[in-house]
Amino acid sequence: MEISVWNGYLAGFAIGLFVILHFWLLGKPAGCSTGYGNLCGLAFPKVKFFRIGEYSNLNNSKLWFLIGIPLGGLISALTSVESWHLSFDMGLYEQVLPQTYSAKAIWLIFGGMLLGFGARLAGACTTGHALVGGAMLNPASLIAGAVFFTSALITTHLLFGL
Amino acid sequence: MWQFIRNPNFLALGMGALFGFLMSRAGATTYDFHVKMFMFEDMQLMKVIVTAVVVAMLGVYLLKRFNVRSITTKTPVDFVKKPYQQGLILGAMLFGIGWGMTAACPGTIPAMMAEGKIGALFTFLGLILGTLAYGILKTYLLHAKETRSG
Repeated sequence: MEISVWNGYLAGFAIGLFVILHFWLLGKPAGCSTGYGNLCGLAFPKVKFFRIGEYSNLNNSKLWFLIGIPLGGLISALTSVESWHLSFDMGLYEQVLPQTYSAKAIWLIFGGMLLGFGARLAGACTTGHALVGGAMLNPASLIAGAVFFTSALITTHLLFGL
Repeated sequence: MWQFIRNPNFLALGMGALFGFLMSRAGATTYDFHVKMFMFEDMQLMKVIVTAVVVAMLGVYLLKRFNVRSITTKTPVDFVKKPYQQGLILGAMLFGIGWGMTAACPGTIPAMMAEGKIGALFTFLGLILGTLAYGILKTYLLHAKETRSG
C-alpha cells in the first residue's frame, strides 16, 4: 500500500527531535537492532549469549522500543490516503526479484539474515550507528555508516543496472 | 499514574511507536525510496537522514552543554558510544548487502509489517535467524575460551 510521505527536511527534523527526546527521556542512545537479541533470548533461552552482558535482563527498554515500532507503523498506514491492505508488491524490486512467491520469500529471508548477522557483527544498525552514532560523532559509527551506505549502493546498482 | 508513565519500559514503548510512525512518514518504509536514493533519482531519504543527524547533533551538544538529567534515570544523559569492535567493517558490508536486497533495516521492518507489507514478514524472519546465528557463534566461541583457560 502507498504510505503518505512528508517533505524530507520536515521528516528529518522530526527524527532529529526524536533522537534528542530519546536521550532526555531514557537517558541513553536510541537503537533498534540490539532488541532482536532480546527476542532471540526469549524464544531460544538455551543460547547463552542472549542471557549475559547487555542481555542479562531481557525485559528492558530495548525490547519494548522494538514492540512499539509496529504501533507507529500501523497508525501511519491507517492515516494514509490509501486504505490499509495486505500486499506482497515490492515496487521497483518486482522488475529484478524472482517471480514466484516462494523464491521472493527466500530472497528476503536471506537479505534479512545478512541484516541481522551484519548488525550484530558491526555492533549496531542504521539507527544506532548512522543516525545516533553520527550525531555523537562517534568515529566507529561514522565508519560503519559509510560502509553500510557504500555496500548498499553497490548492491542496488548491481541489481538495477549501472 | 505518574510513576507508571515514568516507567522506562512504558516510555520505550511510546518512543518505539513514535519512531515507527516517523520512519513511515519519512518514506523509509517504502521500498522505492531506497532504490531511488541509491540510483541518485530521488534524494528524499538522503534529505531525511542528513537533516536528522544535524538536528540531533545540535541537540546532543545542548544536552551536554547544560548537563541535562534524564527523566527516568535522574542522572546526566549517558552518551555511551558503540566501540570499534573486531569485524565491524565486515559486518557493515554484510549489512549493506542486506539493505540493498530488502530495502529495509532492523528499525523499519516492524513498521512495514504493521503496514501490511508481506515481504517484511520474511525479512523479519531472516533478521531473527541472522541475530540467532551470531548469538550461537558467540556462545560457541565463549565455550571454547572457557575450555582453554579452564
